[in-house]
Amino acid sequence: MYYRIIRNDMLKSKVITLATMIFVSAAAMLVSLAAILVVHLSGALDMLMTQAKTPHFMQMHSGEVNMARLTSFAEQNHHVDDFQVAEFVNIDGSKIILGDRSLANSVQDNGFSIQSEKFDYLLDLDGNIIHASDGELYVPVSYMRDHTAKVGDKAFVSGREFTVAGFLRDSQMNSALASSKRFLLSAHDYAEIKNLGSTEYLIEFRLKDMSALGAFESAYASAGLEANGPTITYPLLTMLNALSDGIMIAVILLVSVLIVIIALLCIRFTLLARIEGDYREIGVMKAIGLRVSDMKRIYLAKYAAIAAAGSAVGYALSLVSKGMLLENIRLYMGDSGRTSLASLFGLAGILLIFLAIMAYVNGVLRRFRSLSAAEAIRSGTSHEQGAGAKQFRLSGNRWFSTNVFLGVQDVLARKKLYATMLVVLVISSFIMIVPQNLYSTISSKSFVQYMGIGTYDMRMDVQQTGPIPTNTSEIENRMRSDSDISRYAVLTTKAFKVKKENGSEENIKIELGDHSAFPIYYSKGRAPAAENEIALSALNAEELGKQVGERMTLTAEGAEKALTVSGIYSDITNGGKTAKAVFTDHTADTMWAVICAELSDPSLIDQKVSEYKNRFAFAKVSDIEEFVAQTFGSTISSVKKASVASALVALVITLLITLLFMKLLIAKDKYSIAVLKALGFTNSDIRAQYISRSVVVLIAGLILGTLLANTLGELLARTVISSFGASTFTFAIHPLSAYLLIPLMMIGSVLIATIIGLTGAGQIKISESMKG
Amino acid sequence: MKKMMIGDRIVKSFGEGRERRHVLDGVSMEINEGEFVAVMGPSGSGKSTLMFALSGTDSVDSGKVVVDGKDLSTMGENELSDLRRTTMGFVFQQPTMLSNLNILDNIILPAMRDNRNNVTKISEKARLLMQRVGIADLEKRDITQVSGGQLQRAGICRALINSPKMIFGDEPTGALNSQSAQEMMDILSEINADGTAVMLVTHDAKVAARTERIMFMRDGTIVSELKLPKLEGMDMDQRIEEVTEKMREIGI
Repeated sequence: MYYRIIRNDMLKSKVITLATMIFVSAAAMLVSLAAILVVHLSGALDMLMTQAKTPHFMQMHSGEVNMARLTSFAEQNHHVDDFQVAEFVNIDGSKIILGDRSLANSVQDNGFSIQSEKFDYLLDLDGNIIHASDGELYVPVSYMRDHTAKVGDKAFVSGREFTVAGFLRDSQMNSALASSKRFLLSAHDYAEIKNLGSTEYLIEFRLKDMSALGAFESAYASAGLEANGPTITYPLLTMLNALSDGIMIAVILLVSVLIVIIALLCIRFTLLARIEGDYREIGVMKAIGLRVSDMKRIYLAKYAAIAAAGSAVGYALSLVSKGMLLENIRLYMGDSGRTSLASLFGLAGILLIFLAIMAYVNGVLRRFRSLSAAEAIRSGTSHEQGAGAKQFRLSGNRWFSTNVFLGVQDVLARKKLYATMLVVLVISSFIMIVPQNLYSTISSKSFVQYMGIGTYDMRMDVQQTGPIPTNTSEIENRMRSDSDISRYAVLTTKAFKVKKENGSEENIKIELGDHSAFPIYYSKGRAPAAENEIALSALNAEELGKQVGERMTLTAEGAEKALTVSGIYSDITNGGKTAKAVFTDHTADTMWAVICAELSDPSLIDQKVSEYKNRFAFAKVSDIEEFVAQTFGSTISSVKKASVASALVALVITLLITLLFMKLLIAKDKYSIAVLKALGFTNSDIRAQYISRSVVVLIAGLILGTLLANTLGELLARTVISSFGASTFTFAIHPLSAYLLIPLMMIGSVLIATIIGLTGAGQIKISESMKG
Repeated sequence: MKKMMIGDRIVKSFGEGRERRHVLDGVSMEINEGEFVAVMGPSGSGKSTLMFALSGTDSVDSGKVVVDGKDLSTMGENELSDLRRTTMGFVFQQPTMLSNLNILDNIILPAMRDNRNNVTKISEKARLLMQRVGIADLEKRDITQVSGGQLQRAGICRALINSPKMIFGDEPTGALNSQSAQEMMDILSEINADGTAVMLVTHDAKVAARTERIMFMRDGTIVSELKLPKLEGMDMDQRIEEVTEKMREIGI
């Protein structure tokens, strides 16, 4: 009998049943995909890092290396299992040509190396250790991904010819987030190109026990060994490798949570409308002695059927579509070998969704218990009237037309019912506004100030390809006499040691020069102005535990220098760990220099960039917009894509839910509509009433959604952005899109859905609805 | 006497194919201005369907309905709505009130559609009507806070708010106890005495006996008619006797 009741019920409400099933399928698919991805990601990552024998601790270093000292440190430290110094040579992108493409515009530091001896192996796409022959070049897998190169291509490195023999996985630098990439060639070829670029060393350790990593790190730091470069540890590498896919998984999970919420809301108002419609019948069943649990079972069975079908479809879809999302993991990390485990996890995720839905339905059905049989039979409807409606009388209405009044009044009287739609609209406007605001924020020109870059027009980077001070003053001389350059500033970066609270020393890179010329945004305090002041990037301030006004001690060539922290700023450059000061120093070597310039006529930028490029071949000259685009462009464009995609999703959800809601409302209000019609209200009167209801709920939804987006959304966005190194920012809201375009699109889709949903109202026959 | 309403060979059927059933099988009838008539018949005889057809709330398959000189078949949905709102009032068996509105708001609702700016006047009129039917103190009550009889009286006030020429009642006393039913009929008689035509659909001989003309229906046709003198011209028991006699005679 249950089967028949359920089947009839579903046939009666095909659209709603189907829509609910679609939402359940979508949620199930996403949850299953997320579970599958997590298993594959962790498996593949584990496999890659095991096969490659990734170092547990690595110090990058440019400059001289004292091998004897390092070897003796490694021998004496009882945590060390294995130790090696690998070297690689950085070659400017413009000197590398893969196939017919030059890497001149690459934002990566491209380095060349030979296969490691003991660990940190570079692997081929089958996970084997590569042995390159002379003339062969193995290219980082990311260049395969973006179709820069393919196997068999000719490659030129500073004029020497190679053949692309294959692609390699690098357990350290695979990630798009790692700014360096390693190419692999034979020892003989390496010796030939070694002098064509700057050599960098990777001082690598494998430890006997990973848990000793912290102790080892401080031992290394306090031993005063080579440390001119970043320090990287195994957990950091794991995180870097997992991050981009991890973010994808997080986004999928987030979206699936939203869809689950929407599916539940969908179920909630279908169920409530159904209970409302069956009110009298339920009362009768209760009165003749059927148990509440018997009645619940019918509804539970129906939703079990919908949820089971939806979950099955979702699971099948996730198995079909997982290949697409796994492509990245497979390419960068290889196969995880955990296919069946992944499928099992996917299934577990789906079971979770199923159980959540059933628990929810069960919860909604609890109101059966409180339903009074007598009341149900007597009145046939449950009377819910909100307190707010009482003050709102038709006889006191001076403001609205009667139709608008009836619409608004109904919303106020049945708040609970409309709350469902309100929640959906709030969610929709939230997921439309937040990504849009995030996009307009990070794409606005002022945003670079938050990112540690001043607002200037042209930027010249002078790296260690020659004597930096000489090269810098050469450029300075030219700029001084160039009338097109209205202002410029030279900022040189040097490495110093800073004393930490516990007495240990740590490297700190400080950018010296005039920081008032092109100011950046300081989240706390201000730019350093006096000789004894220093400003720290947010990440450095956090790591050193310093606040504005606190003092810190720097050592340079044995001498100590006391500085006061004048300000803290956000930075995305150089891994977010930077500092700024104005003192002059002649002791430490310059690591690099940046010359920032402002043009008297900004439209000359292209001409000036090429002029300086030609004149100073040793410097990297860039238009600041291009520079921002290169460091940050891919993020901006993916945020843009995400914002467009989420806007579309939100609109579709709005459209579908409003449509469903209207259909349910019409079914529920059949009797009232018939009454109104009998009293002489026309179909267009009734349409006006329902449109007013939608509009009232929509306006409330938009206001709440916007408020939420500007508070909670900004907080969320700040968390996302702070992961790039920027700690403080406020939304740069594009008023036209946030306050006009988005509301208009929402209004449009709600109106369309309302009007489509209302077609049923016109067909309601007074004679049929009023009988009995 | 001017005709308020003319039904000419009205046919209305429900169902498809073999299941098709003529609920109104060529009914012809007339109601004069200010007349008080009743339609009687057993369940399924087509009396409610006739009322819906005459008031333009339901379409007919064939035949013609003319209300206040206007042919309904030539009118669109909106015009029919306008006609219902301005010319007719309805009282149903179950109180058909909107649960969101209080008693007063329910009563003034049909008038507010066109005359929102006269809300004070309309409310005043509603209060007078409420006073007349004896529910003056209930205007602020919710519809769940009053009795069925009181709700039915409010329904009459609503039907009268636009000063219609004709009132339809579909078993208006069907859900009331005899005391309330009696009071209800007194009110309807009063309204009729003021010149408003009233047509009641009922199966209750006592109710029908209050009217001046009774049409008896069976299987979709009017099988007989009974005329009674004005209320004051004949004793109530005698009227009821005549009606029941007629019912016996035609076997309903």
